[in-house]
Formats: sequence, C-alpha cells, structure tokens
Amino acid sequence: MQRTLTAMALALASAAATTASAEDKIVVEFAYPYSHLFDVTYEAILPKFYAAHPNIEIRMRATYESYEDGTNTILREAVAGTLPDVTMQGLNRQAILVEKGIAKSLEPFIAAEADFAKDGYHKAMLDLGTFDSEVHGLPFSISLPVGYYNMEVMAKAGYDATNLPTTWAEVIEACGKLREAGVDNPMFWGWNITGNWFLQALMWSQDKPTVMGTDFTLDEPEGLTALNTMKDIFTGCEMQNLEWKAALASFSAGDLGMMYWSTSAVGAVERAMGDFTLVTSEYPGLTADGPMGLPAGGNSAMLVSTSEDPEELAAAWAWLKFITSGEGAADVARTTGYMPPNQAANEIILADFYDANPAKATAVRQLPLLREWQAYPGDNGLAATQVIYDGIEGIVTGEFEDMTELQEELTEEVQELLE
Amino acid sequence: MAEVTYAGAPEGAKAQGFRFNTRAAVVHAVLIVGALIVLLPFYTMLSLSLKSPSEIMQQTGGFMGAQEPFRDDFCVKLGGTEEECMVNPIVYNYTTAFEKAPLVRYLLNGLIVTISIFVIQVIVALPCAYALAKLRFWGREAVFSLVLFCLLIPVHAIALPLYIMLAQVGLTNTYAALIIPWTISVFGIFLMRQFFMTVPDDLIDAARMDGMSEYGIIWRVMLPTAIPALMAFGIFSIVAHWNDYFWPRIVITGNRDLFTPPLGLREFKGDADGDNFGPMMATACIIVTPLIVAFLLAQRRFIEGITLSGMK
Repeated sequence: MQRTLTAMALALASAAATTASAEDKIVVEFAYPYSHLFDVTYEAILPKFYAAHPNIEIRMRATYESYEDGTNTILREAVAGTLPDVTMQGLNRQAILVEKGIAKSLEPFIAAEADFAKDGYHKAMLDLGTFDSEVHGLPFSISLPVGYYNMEVMAKAGYDATNLPTTWAEVIEACGKLREAGVDNPMFWGWNITGNWFLQALMWSQDKPTVMGTDFTLDEPEGLTALNTMKDIFTGCEMQNLEWKAALASFSAGDLGMMYWSTSAVGAVERAMGDFTLVTSEYPGLTADGPMGLPAGGNSAMLVSTSEDPEELAAAWAWLKFITSGEGAADVARTTGYMPPNQAANEIILADFYDANPAKATAVRQLPLLREWQAYPGDNGLAATQVIYDGIEGIVTGEFEDMTELQEELTEEVQELLE
Repeated sequence: MAEVTYAGAPEGAKAQGFRFNTRAAVVHAVLIVGALIVLLPFYTMLSLSLKSPSEIMQQTGGFMGAQEPFRDDFCVKLGGTEEECMVNPIVYNYTTAFEKAPLVRYLLNGLIVTISIFVIQVIVALPCAYALAKLRFWGREAVFSLVLFCLLIPVHAIALPLYIMLAQVGLTNTYAALIIPWTISVFGIFLMRQFFMTVPDDLIDAARMDGMSEYGIIWRVMLPTAIPALMAFGIFSIVAHWNDYFWPRIVITGNRDLFTPPLGLREFKGDADGDNFGPMMATACIIVTPLIVAFLLAQRRFIEGITLSGMK
C-alpha cells in the first residue's frame, strides 16, 4: 500500500512538474458504455484524479448504450474525424479497432513507465489487450462467470454453503432434488449472454480456445463435450428459455435456486432481490477439479486519440493509467459487480472490501483462470456470433436432439463465415 | 370514418331511447379491446415509474408499489450514510430522471430541434406544393413522380451517406446535424399538394387580379386556408422527430448537452447487468407527456386535416 502510494505520488509529481507551466487545462475526451453501471464509478474516480492531475480536464462524451454501439460509434467517428482520446471497448471488440489502425499501441507509454509491473499490471491482464505482441488495451472492469445461489431455496434440497455443486453433473443432480422438493424452476444458465460467452466458458473449461487463427474449434472433441454438457444441463434441469431480463427477474423474485451468470450483475441483483440469502460460488467445472480456464468479460481502455501533441497524449495516458491501477481501479470493485484485473488493487487496496462483500469475492478467487473472450475474426464476426446463438437456442428449445449433427452443422456454417 | 361512428352512435342511441344496438355494441367492444392493447404499454410505463427497483424486478406491488423507502446503493457507494440514502421510489425515479439525465436540457433541445425542423419544412413544402398543384410548367408531372418516389426511400437506407456528408463539412455533433437532413419533407410536399388541389382556382385568380405576387399568394392566401392540413402535418412531423432515437444517436456522439429526450433513456441501460427501470420509465413518461397533451388539444384539427387533405 505504502509503496504503491509513494510510486503514485512520484509519478504524479513528475507529471505535474512537466505540465504545470501550461496555462490552460489539457482536455482529454473520454467515452464509455453503460451509463447506469459506470457513471457512479467515474463519479468516484474523478475527484481523486483531479486532485492528482489538476491540469487535466476529463470531458465525458455521450455514453454508449452497449459494447456493440461503442464499437460502431468509434468506427463512425473515425470516418468523421471526431474520435475521442480514450474509449472503453468490450474486451471482445478490441481487435477490430486494432486491425483498422484506430487504436494506438500503448507500448511507447509502457516503456516510459519505471514501475509498470509493480503498479499491478500482470501478464494475464495485459494479454487481454495484446495484439500483434503489442499492448493496445488496458482492461478496466473484468467479469467472470460465477454461480448465484438462493440459499433458502437450496436449503429445501438439503444444500448449504459448504456443499454447493462444483461440477455440472452435480448441478443437474441438484436440479432433480430441487424439483422433488417442489421447486418448479430450479436453474438458469446464461447461454444467451452476448458474444457466446458461455459456450466459450465451456471450451475454456477444457483449456480449449474457441477460435484459433481462423479455425473454429467446435469440430474437435472438446466442442462435442461442450454441446453435450449444455444439452445435459438444459434437459436435466428442464431449463426454461428465459431472456436476460426475465432470468434476472426470476432470480431476484426468489423463484430460481441457482443461476449461472456474470459476476457483474451482483450489484443489480443485490439491489433488486427479495428477502433471501444470496451466495455466489465458483463456476462449476466438467470435472471435480473445476474449470481450467474461463473467458473474461468486461471492458478495456483504448487510446484512440488522433492528437500529435505529446502533452495531450501524455494526459490521455495519465487518465488511462489512473483508472486501471491503484485507487482508480479499486473503485471499479467498490461501485460495481466487476473487479479490476489489477493485482495490486485486488490484493492490497481491496483486501478488506472483499471480506465485507463475499458475493463479489468469488470472481477474484477465479482470477487465475482468466482467459481471453474471443472475437470471431473478419467482417462476418457478428454473423458468426448469431449463428452460434441460434444453434444454442435450438438446444434449449429442444429443436436439436443430436449433438454430433449440430456440431457438424455449426462448424460448417461458422467456418464458412470466418474464411 | 372514425368520426362518423363516434358522432353517430350516441345520437342514434338517444333517439331510439337506449335500445340495444348489436352493431354498435360490437363496434364498441372491438374499439375497447383495441384501446386496451394500445394503453397497456402506457400503463406499464407509468406503473414502473412509480415503483422501487425490487418491486419492479420481483413484479410485486400492483400499480403503485408500497411506496416504502428503499436504499439507493449508488448514493451509499459515493459515500452517503445509510440514513441519508433512504429514498421514496417516486421521488427517486423522477429526481434521478431529471438529475442524471439532465432532462430539462434534453427537452429544450427536443423543442428547438422539432420546431426548427417543422418551420423549415413548411417554408420549403408550401411553395413546392403550390407549384405542383396550381402552376403549369414543363415537367410538372415528372417532378411530382419524383416526390412520390422519394416517399419510398427509408431513412435507414441513406443514413450512412448522410452521416458522411455531414462529417465532411464538420457538422456532426451540432444542432444543424439534427435539423438539416429533415428540412425537405417530401411527405409534407405531397400532403400539402393534395390539399391545395382541393382549393378552387377562382380564389387564386382573384388574388392575381388584385395584383398579388405568387409568393404573396402562397403566404397570404394559401397558408391561411391550409391551417388544418398544416396542423395534421405538424403532428406527424413533431411526433416523428420528437420520438426519433435513430438519427440523433448516429450524429450526436460527442457532447451530451446536445441529446434529444429519447437519448436520455440510454442513461439507465445496463443490459445483462440489470437496467435501472424506474428512472428509465419516469423519463419515458416525461418524454411522452408533451405529445399526449398536444395531441389532445389538437385532436379535432388533426382529424379534420387528415380528412380534408384526402389522406383517408
């Protein structure tokens, strides 16, 4: 703690010394998605940032309504020449901005930092924003899939915090017991989260990326295991085909016993839930050892400034670094269900916080499993996402019975889109 | 058509001493079901704008909710104590709508944009419609066909070229970007032309004999006769641009101060992590209120205008 603070103070002092002579404030234009989730985070960070950098002004732009809208907006602004300086982009939407040369490499700025690793930037985190072996994005808020449990409902089938299911087979078994105990709708599994996140979760659980280069790996044995696991979960639990809002609403209302979802919704669920005990626990695995990896969700800060002025770029970098390390990063966890991927922030600044907020601590325990949320390469990436989405929906609704057949169909269709 | 049923039914009922009329009863039953279908979303909107987040998510509390104070977590996170942060649902939803999305500013923007669009549309459409309806010139029918053709082009098809043009002259993120693309309304030209066709030529000939210029005729003779049609067009134009989410969202990416009211809704989006429905629906209620009031006030003129201009 002491050392981080000293390092921060030094960095700030030197930054202040170089720019204090400037009469006017340097303006950094900044845009981010999901007002409702992150306004409060930036409101908490800004006073601290201004105290440290009195000569920089952060000008908040119109927020993006979703990650897809964020990417679209940046692509449009690149044409119009009205790009902001720093933008927050969905982790699986960074690649396109790098390919098109809109996002700038952060390597020159990192090279100029003395204590970069000590500020808590570790490799797994940097990997999420690394393209062509150069860092282009620094992750800001990270989510991982976790299990949400309504302990009062779970108790009906004899479960407590010590024996929650740790494998999907146990989840299915729990569904059976809950049904016997009179729970109509025991479980929801968030297959419909954007970007085929949960399919990638089952693939990474077997330590298998879903895309390698332009090769869609669903045709391999791990793909079949993933599809079969989904089918077992959906049919074994007789899972209803709920959309996002309905799923969160059912869990909040206390109807569901188990929900597998992103940790980022912990805040929203705590605000909206009825009178029951919420416990989150590790995402189950295919074997008793748990998952071997899990895809990271969330967003990442990218430098898209078109400015040539080194002072302006330095100011943009100062902001980018502030929100992804130290107190700035810690505020992500304090104000949302996300966690900062920054080691120093999680282990030192936030240690007490996680003791007091055990529901948010599950994802932090899973941090070593952090893997990339993969984008499907090429211009048909979004179409590929939709094809897979439709395929999985077909498993939920019972339209597809034979997983080997579905595996072939999906592989063929998606592979065609990626080439 | 609607007017005939409306005005006719009660009179007939009176004359026949409240005799049961199967046809009228069926008509009313169908209309009531239709009205319920239309009103249901408004009911939900109003109801959600009054309830607390937990009541909304758990679908409890009926129409009003219990109105018990709840804890505003964002206030706590920003350092407020628990006591300070207990809020009443209605007060929370509506104050958040005005504070977090600066709705007054957005409403003002909406007013500036819709009124500017309408005024310019009228300035362009009236002379065009007059020429197409009353002046004889070579190629008139061809020009009118073009007007009809333009009615078939959806804005989404030309949004990208429009955006690029505005970007090249540096007009994105300005009021101009919100207004300019809509200033020429082919629908307005078409509607006014249909109306002008019904105005007798004698009126115009008399004005010409009195020595009025063509522009004089447009603004001092045709405009006053066209008020009902303009009202109808005004409602179409203002409703469309007041409610427009698509275009403002495309051109306003910089300064939040230029947002029009519907963009205020996005301040409460969280998707998979939970939306903030209370303030979102409060915002929606505030946005539609001026429109509903305006429509109720202008209802009669609106129906007249539609009937008169031959848009039946």
